Amino acid sequence: MNYLIKRFQRLLIVLGVVTLITFLLVNVLPGDVAYEIAGMDSSEEEVQEIREELGLNRPVLIRYVEWVTGIFTGDWGTSYISDEDVWEAITDRFPVSFELMILAQILALLLAIPAGMISAFRPNGRGDRIIGTIAFASVSMPSFMTAILLIYFFSLHLGWLPATGYEPLSEGLWQNLRPMILPALSLALVEWTILMRTLRVEMIAVLQENYIALARAKGMSNLRILLVHALRPSSFSMITLLGLQVARLLGGTIIIEQIFGIPGVGRLLIHAVYTRDFIVIQGCVTFFALAFVTANFLVDIAYAWLDPRVRTRGAHG
Amino acid sequence: MGEIILDVRNQRTAFATGRGMLQAVDGVSFTLERGKTLGVVGESGSGKSVLSRSIMRLLPGTSMTGPGSQILLNGKDLTAMTENQLRRMRGPEMAIVFQDPMTALNPTLSIGKQIMEVLMFHLKMSKRDARAKAVDLLKAVGLPQPDVRVDQYPHQLSGGMRQRVAIAIAIACEPDLLIADEPTTALDVTVQAEILDLLQRMVRERNMAMILITHDMGVVAGRCDDVAVMYAGKIVEKAPVRSLFSETRMPYTAALLSSIPRVTDPPHRKLDAIEGRPPDLINPPPGCPFAPRCRHAEDACNRAVPELTGTADHQWACIKPLNTEAAA
Repeated sequence: MNYLIKRFQRLLIVLGVVTLITFLLVNVLPGDVAYEIAGMDSSEEEVQEIREELGLNRPVLIRYVEWVTGIFTGDWGTSYISDEDVWEAITDRFPVSFELMILAQILALLLAIPAGMISAFRPNGRGDRIIGTIAFASVSMPSFMTAILLIYFFSLHLGWLPATGYEPLSEGLWQNLRPMILPALSLALVEWTILMRTLRVEMIAVLQENYIALARAKGMSNLRILLVHALRPSSFSMITLLGLQVARLLGGTIIIEQIFGIPGVGRLLIHAVYTRDFIVIQGCVTFFALAFVTANFLVDIAYAWLDPRVRTRGAHG
Repeated sequence: MGEIILDVRNQRTAFATGRGMLQAVDGVSFTLERGKTLGVVGESGSGKSVLSRSIMRLLPGTSMTGPGSQILLNGKDLTAMTENQLRRMRGPEMAIVFQDPMTALNPTLSIGKQIMEVLMFHLKMSKRDARAKAVDLLKAVGLPQPDVRVDQYPHQLSGGMRQRVAIAIAIACEPDLLIADEPTTALDVTVQAEILDLLQRMVRERNMAMILITHDMGVVAGRCDDVAVMYAGKIVEKAPVRSLFSETRMPYTAALLSSIPRVTDPPHRKLDAIEGRPPDLINPPPGCPFAPRCRHAEDACNRAVPELTGTADHQWACIKPLNTEAAA
């Protein structure tokens, strides 16, 4: 319980810092939403009028405090451009981004776990070297580059998967997943290498442990030793990374959603940045920060599941 | 003569190192009968643990087994087996208890699971039967509240209790040969005797053969039938316990025995430690490996490695054995 309170305090500090910085940054940017609303041919007086109307000429700090108080009372504001409620705009689109991130992490894990185990089983062996080379090539390519190559190969060349688009889950699971595969893969092809290398290093150390020797002495097969005896104690760093990667993925989805035309929070954010719709920008960033802290909170819970010592002693950190 | 369980013939185990081949076990031969316990005694680095892992065939990839080496377990040559054949031997025919119970159990699996997997793999037991048998085994090794403990994790148990669990795992499939590799070295003195008694009882009840590896002459004294003293990868003296103590032949054995402090010694008496260090096993000296540290050594000792001689019961590798006509 004490632990939960501590975590919650940390969450508040993170949110405070993140919102303040974005608020200030958006205000430093040249141009504001008033120009957008007024349109191309408007005079400076018209723009100034709109500013007064929206209260944009008041001091930054006052507007910040106003907005933060709104967040705590559930009022995330309304978009200056579309009049949409910010909270609704985000929560409408977030499931799409969330699905993309989850799929990307699942794909990354599906690649990283077997590859990491093969690498760790015989370090510097042939399998390890081949996997290491592929991983290096894979991590060297930025996700938007990978995305373009994947579209070229799977959509244009082979025609197996659509290049863009999004289908809601109500159209059926496969219909929904099909256009998500390439975007998720684009993100996963960067993320898996880091997970794999982390798992590999930790597993090489675990495989030297006495309890692995005992498992061998019990006649257990190599596969069982890797999966049942070595994987769990080897995956702590990897799980930690999984949480930290949420930050990278949130950034990654913004680009990938643009490329593949996926209507997620990323596109909402990009559009808001173009139109200086800062109330939406702040909403998105706050939401991302919340998502990130939540993800890392879940990672802490995963530790307890992985390591029974944490379960009885209480989580570390 | 009882039924011979284990017949080790000229076992040689070497490791490739940066400086050359390190001969960790160098031509070790012995047989072990059902129901008997062989004590293997020696300093750190004498090759006793490598010997135990050589028998289990649990050596790392950098190791090499000599071409003339054979290990016959129940008449089957372990050195000629594939990994899959060996896997079926580990558990039902041979098992090992490691030195440090704090690290020998998997921290992420319940102790029940760690026992059950042996039973389910080797004896093809169902999950339910395996669990019942695991509780029985925990009871047999004297773990209190076995039906509660079975679901606990290693960190919830003390060192002595963990070693009991390790023994339960080892005996789960009723092996013919049990190797105990310094099973009490990492434990409190008060727990040591309990664990040794438990091992002894298990060997007697289940009619196994046991190799008890230790550096502690005191452990060997009351609990073994025969004792093999190892030095620099070789057996330098092997005898029934009683003869080893009363008719010590090999000066190294004598030195080991006299390095044990005695209650009757006057206070503050300096321990009779063995001077010098064990020889380099990569470039061993030409003669008797113990000669540089031996009080009785002569020039002849440095010329050739002495062969094991003596009777079928009592053998020694020394050209100037103690307590014989030759020494007098």
